Amino acid sequence: MPEEEPINDSEGYSPEGGGAPAGLSINGYIDVGFAKAQGDGTSFAPGDLRLPADYGVDTFATAVNSRGDVASTDSNGRFVNGFLPRSAGIGGRPSFLLNTLDVDLRYVTPGAPLMLFSRVQFLPRFTGDGDATRVYVEQAFGRLVPFDSQELAIAVGKFDSVFGIEYLDNQANIRTGITPSLVARYTTGQSIGAKVFYRVQIAPAWSALSLNVAATNSGNFVESLQPPDASLGDAPVGSGRLGYELNTPGVQAKLGVSGMYGPRNDQYDRSALQQAWGADLRVAVAGLALAAEYVHVDEDEGGIKTTSLGIFPLASAFYARGGYVQLAYALAVDVGPLRKLTVYGRYDRRHAAFGGYTPITVDRFTGGLRLDLWESLILKGEYLDNRELAGAPTVANNVLTTSLVYSY
Amino acid sequence: MRPPTIVLAWLLATPLAAPSRATAAPAGEVRAWPGEEMPLPLAVRTPQDLAVKAAAEKQYLIFNLLAGGKLAFDGGDFATAAAKWEALLRVPGLDPDLEKLIRPLAHDARARAGGQATAAAPTGAPAGAAGVGPAVSSAARAAALAPLATVSGTVSGGGGQGPGGAVVWLKRASGETPHPAPAHGKVVSQRSKIFVPHVLVVPVGSKVSFKNEDPIFHNIFSLSKPNEFDTGLYKQGATYTQTFKRPGVVQLLCNIHSSMLGFVYVVDTPWYAQAEASGAFTIKGVPPGEYEVSVWHEAATKPTTTHLTVGADGVHGLALRVAGDRRAPQFLPDKSGKPRQSHLGY
Repeated sequence: MPEEEPINDSEGYSPEGGGAPAGLSINGYIDVGFAKAQGDGTSFAPGDLRLPADYGVDTFATAVNSRGDVASTDSNGRFVNGFLPRSAGIGGRPSFLLNTLDVDLRYVTPGAPLMLFSRVQFLPRFTGDGDATRVYVEQAFGRLVPFDSQELAIAVGKFDSVFGIEYLDNQANIRTGITPSLVARYTTGQSIGAKVFYRVQIAPAWSALSLNVAATNSGNFVESLQPPDASLGDAPVGSGRLGYELNTPGVQAKLGVSGMYGPRNDQYDRSALQQAWGADLRVAVAGLALAAEYVHVDEDEGGIKTTSLGIFPLASAFYARGGYVQLAYALAVDVGPLRKLTVYGRYDRRHAAFGGYTPITVDRFTGGLRLDLWESLILKGEYLDNRELAGAPTVANNVLTTSLVYSY
Repeated sequence: MRPPTIVLAWLLATPLAAPSRATAAPAGEVRAWPGEEMPLPLAVRTPQDLAVKAAAEKQYLIFNLLAGGKLAFDGGDFATAAAKWEALLRVPGLDPDLEKLIRPLAHDARARAGGQATAAAPTGAPAGAAGVGPAVSSAARAAALAPLATVSGTVSGGGGQGPGGAVVWLKRASGETPHPAPAHGKVVSQRSKIFVPHVLVVPVGSKVSFKNEDPIFHNIFSLSKPNEFDTGLYKQGATYTQTFKRPGVVQLLCNIHSSMLGFVYVVDTPWYAQAEASGAFTIKGVPPGEYEVSVWHEAATKPTTTHLTVGADGVHGLALRVAGDRRAPQFLPDKSGKPRQSHLGY
């Protein structure tokens, strides 16, 4: 006999356009925080008078936000050579922060497999002369998916790195914790150029292989001073990642190897090279998420160093080896406004040296708690225990920082 | 007079007591019960023979209705199960322990059958046949026996998306809402990396097929508890079927394509509808009574619920509103729950 049908049967609803993403969408986030770094907020030891000052310290130690801004880079007038990371300028004082106001515009072209994306960020920073706000075009690109039957995407413009995995977590409203790793500076920069992503699914093995390659004006370093958008040499920097994904119902695992090769960002001389390779791993199972990455970086010695703040005389050779392991456990809850609770911990270690200077080995333990509230608010708090293991004086530079991120 | 035989004859004469074998048994599921033919071929030569025959036929009928109902229930034919067990409850002098056992089963079967056959139950039951039908109040029973009504109206709101696709459903304000019959043949296709339909409403227990009509792989999944599922990778033309056993919203995602978003809304009531683009909706087959009417929309953070009285003429022009306070999510997660930036990668 025919099966009984519900009296109020429905065939479903599709809006005009079928439910495809809206043509133009505007999203973003506001990231505010509160932080306190030990000491004067820098990693400069009072009695360490080596020059340049930033060659002898762990300049990335006192990170206070997702951009990796440190509490302070004030060297008390001593000479630095342009490698200092970005500073929030709060020193050792407990301070509220306005980290980022982010505006993302995405436009999906009707009738064409084309998407336009831009990410503009307003970055209020404290300076000696008062507050200063930078407007930063972090990304702006068009992406074309030319074939319906292939997972192939071509992007041209300014876009995220393709090296490693930490760039996936750059933004405060995406990152599990607050601060980036000690090796984020080498992998998470944005560049102008072209990139191609291709992936092939291996269904019987619940697997996929992917390749993401880019040719850009500069490499994927985060440069605080020099203009990485510009191509100072006459050759692009090539970078890429080869990835493997295992996607079973219970376990997701992703492995990758990355590489970068090309002229240094700060050199007109194309023979002064920057090279990097790395490996990454992510495993997610039953609310646990493990992420690990190793990075191996080498920069040749170059000539005069060109930055947006001026010309610096030294372009030392540089190398860095380091990585991190992060473990997070997320628990979905429904208690009042609380939707998800995540505890996380990360261990970072980096060994690096400028040519002719003492190698420095540092590590960091980070522990934190994240609360996802309603659907648009994230409250995070974490503590960074920084240690100078070799080559740099021990400094009181641990950090307690918090972040409140509202997404819109 | 032989009262038991008269009762048996009446029971067998009613559509509920003697459903045809063809309607009682979905193919391969429920075996036709062989012993429903009455009277039994027992010789009657003496008054004692007659008494024995009457007693045997009564026990025989009780057994058949009892066991036949169970077979039908196990085979998923809840309407037949309800009919047999309701007929059993009308047998005079039924053992109280047996009545205690069967009454909730009959009620459950009737609810699973959609709860509507009660209105078509025979009204000629013998006086004194206490316990006929589901164990509900006399008022509820009277309402159930009244003609079924229609509730129609318009949903407004839904923010920039408009009210189209809003899911409207009724649940009884007091007492148990009948369990709905599952829907069959429901399909959500993946077409040009879009879920078609974008929103589908189904009764609890329904099977929904996810069909890949794209020339690429998809991996459809949902993290919406307690209806989470994962199709795994499947190619063009392949279909994965999922049974939704619990009510609530099921957010549909693809592990490969981070922009794909759709919904299945699972209701645990037979009285539901989905609004058209204009917001218009119609719910049919509603017994008059007191209800809670609820509306869900993807652009609202939570369903809205209000009280509704349905009279014999139904309700027309009902105006409902859903909030538009929930924007489309900025980042859709992968199946481990990790948010993805759709502008990255593929």
